[in-house]
Amino acid sequence: MRRPANLVYTLDDIPPLHVTAFNAIQHVGLIAINLVYPLLVFHLVDTPLPMVANLLAVGMIVLGAATLLQVMRLGPIGSGFLCPATFSAAYLSPSLLAAKAGGLPLLFGMTLFAGLLEVALSRALHRLRAVFPAELSGVVIFMIGLSGGAAGLRSLLAADAAPVSAAEWQVAAFTLAVMVGLNVWGKGLLRMLCALIGLAAGYAAAAFAGLFGNGQLNGMDNMPWVAAPGFGHLSWSFELVMAVPFAIACVAATMKALGTITVCQRMVDADWVRPDMRSATRGVLADGISTALAGLLNAVGTNTSTPSVGLASATGVASRRVGIVIGLLFLALGLLPKLTTLLALMPRSVMVAALLFSICFILINGVQVMTSRLLDSRKTLVIGLALIAGSSVEIFPVIAAHAGASWRPMIGSSLVFATLVGFTLNLLFRIGVKQTVALTIEPARIDAQQVDDFLRQQGGRWGARPDVIGRASFAANQLVEAVTENCWKSGPLTLQASFDEFNLDVRLSYRGEPLEFPDRRPTDQEIRETDEGMRRLAGFMLRHNADRMRSEAQGDVATVHFHFDH
Amino acid sequence: MEITEFKSGTVTAVALKGRVDSSTAGTLKDRLSKLIESGLAQLVIDFRDVAYISSAGFRTLLIVAKQSADAHGRLALCGIAGEVKRLFDIAAFTDLFLILPSREEAIAAIAQAGASGKSGASASGKSRT
Repeated sequence: MRRPANLVYTLDDIPPLHVTAFNAIQHVGLIAINLVYPLLVFHLVDTPLPMVANLLAVGMIVLGAATLLQVMRLGPIGSGFLCPATFSAAYLSPSLLAAKAGGLPLLFGMTLFAGLLEVALSRALHRLRAVFPAELSGVVIFMIGLSGGAAGLRSLLAADAAPVSAAEWQVAAFTLAVMVGLNVWGKGLLRMLCALIGLAAGYAAAAFAGLFGNGQLNGMDNMPWVAAPGFGHLSWSFELVMAVPFAIACVAATMKALGTITVCQRMVDADWVRPDMRSATRGVLADGISTALAGLLNAVGTNTSTPSVGLASATGVASRRVGIVIGLLFLALGLLPKLTTLLALMPRSVMVAALLFSICFILINGVQVMTSRLLDSRKTLVIGLALIAGSSVEIFPVIAAHAGASWRPMIGSSLVFATLVGFTLNLLFRIGVKQTVALTIEPARIDAQQVDDFLRQQGGRWGARPDVIGRASFAANQLVEAVTENCWKSGPLTLQASFDEFNLDVRLSYRGEPLEFPDRRPTDQEIRETDEGMRRLAGFMLRHNADRMRSEAQGDVATVHFHFDH
Repeated sequence: MEITEFKSGTVTAVALKGRVDSSTAGTLKDRLSKLIESGLAQLVIDFRDVAYISSAGFRTLLIVAKQSADAHGRLALCGIAGEVKRLFDIAAFTDLFLILPSREEAIAAIAQAGASGKSGASASGKSRT
């Protein structure tokens, strides 16, 4: 592992105390914005204020424990990266469904189920990636954003919601404007903590506009400054029909944890080439245990915090020591009832503004993941129809209202419905897609575009990454060029390509001499002045273009294999 | 492959479009050699619209760089990005040439080097022989 030049403190470094403390506070500020997710759920079922404050305190303790678990590497648990935990939007939609259907006990029971499922999935990450390709992950991320935004807006605009006053609209607009303004035009810390500053500005505006109820703030005077939260509320229940929504959220959380830990790996290693599944598995296991702990102690589902990893990258401080302090800070915040009560009092206008702000980034992340692969008509239809299905449920609630009780958890959530439609279509559209294809090339009529088109069209059917197909395309074209000019004797060349989610293999067979693939680059003079030099340059480039390669000859048939990790 | 020439003072910019491989490298070499032989040895080659370059294309660049240097000219490359940049990297050609992001910057760099009287700076001087 080689330290990247922009990293000031890497994993095992111990930064000065003031650097550690200041960075940890920034991370806590960044993560705190996600408290709007549990708040939205608790408000939906009209949870009494003291109970909300207590549940938020428990939530803080869960975040602290989850962060320590992720950072400290206890046995086989924890990635060891500065990758703090946060409440996740992935669980928002299923949590709302569960809370509506069976109250908070069902929400907590199903969160426990999702955590245990993630623990199990951490042992099968490879298989999960195979049945849940990137474009489908993109659909899930996008729908997490869309369903979360709609849920927030419903708390203002639904038929059964209290009418929104002019003051509430003004506070919401002001809060959103502060967040957006700081994010677009702010610099440094102002930009980094724009959501938290916006939240504080929203609270101030709400207080100025008189949006806090009579005596709500005054009631805090009687509370102690420091007190442990109570655990008398612990209750769980389970419903089989809720398993699907929570399983989908769990898969989304697993994929996100995998992605975030991969970002951490790249951040601390300048020689990073591909994901290290050992630390990823440990990290996903810690993530699953954290969500199970959340369910057990009665909090909502957690996940790794991507913005926090972005902050570590931006500041160049990725020390594990900072992660430990973040965990301890959250544990301490859970012991401050005045603070958790203040958070529990968050006016809906402030909460929805914060939610809409954070969801913009989730939506765009979803679009980016969806389009990170080559998309043919099958993949386009999977994405398009899944998004239409999910959006329809949000636009026409009558669809869910007319569904039977056992179907409602599947159809009642846009996230769940879109994922199920996408997952089913993805399996269906695999019919007729060959995993191995071949192209015959006549040396007398070589058309480089034909080789390119062949690999790109196939890459689209497979949903392969464009950069990997680009490398394979270069390998095929350069090899065909070098072989036909130097080694070919007779007959057509056969190009064969095979794909699964993790591997792309390209093989070229021809009658003729084997091509040389030297490890050392020929000199400029050799390349310039001899055909041998140019041929050896081709071999050198081909060797370094693939992740692995081998060349063999049987009789007068030579075969070259290129392997590309996917 | 399409080859288009642009004149800017004493510098000739040659914009390429398409693929630089064994079927097109010969044409490119002939065209650039003619320019150098006719006294236009201050050259910029623009790769902005090039999608692919093979070993034959890289060989042409080395030949043209030598011809330009022998004629006391200079050679710069521009518009190298994405897949073509990756190919320059794996062929270990990135450090071998003066490479600038845009055609304008490449022309200015060649013109400035000419004004300051540096000669034979066609390549960056790191040629491996």
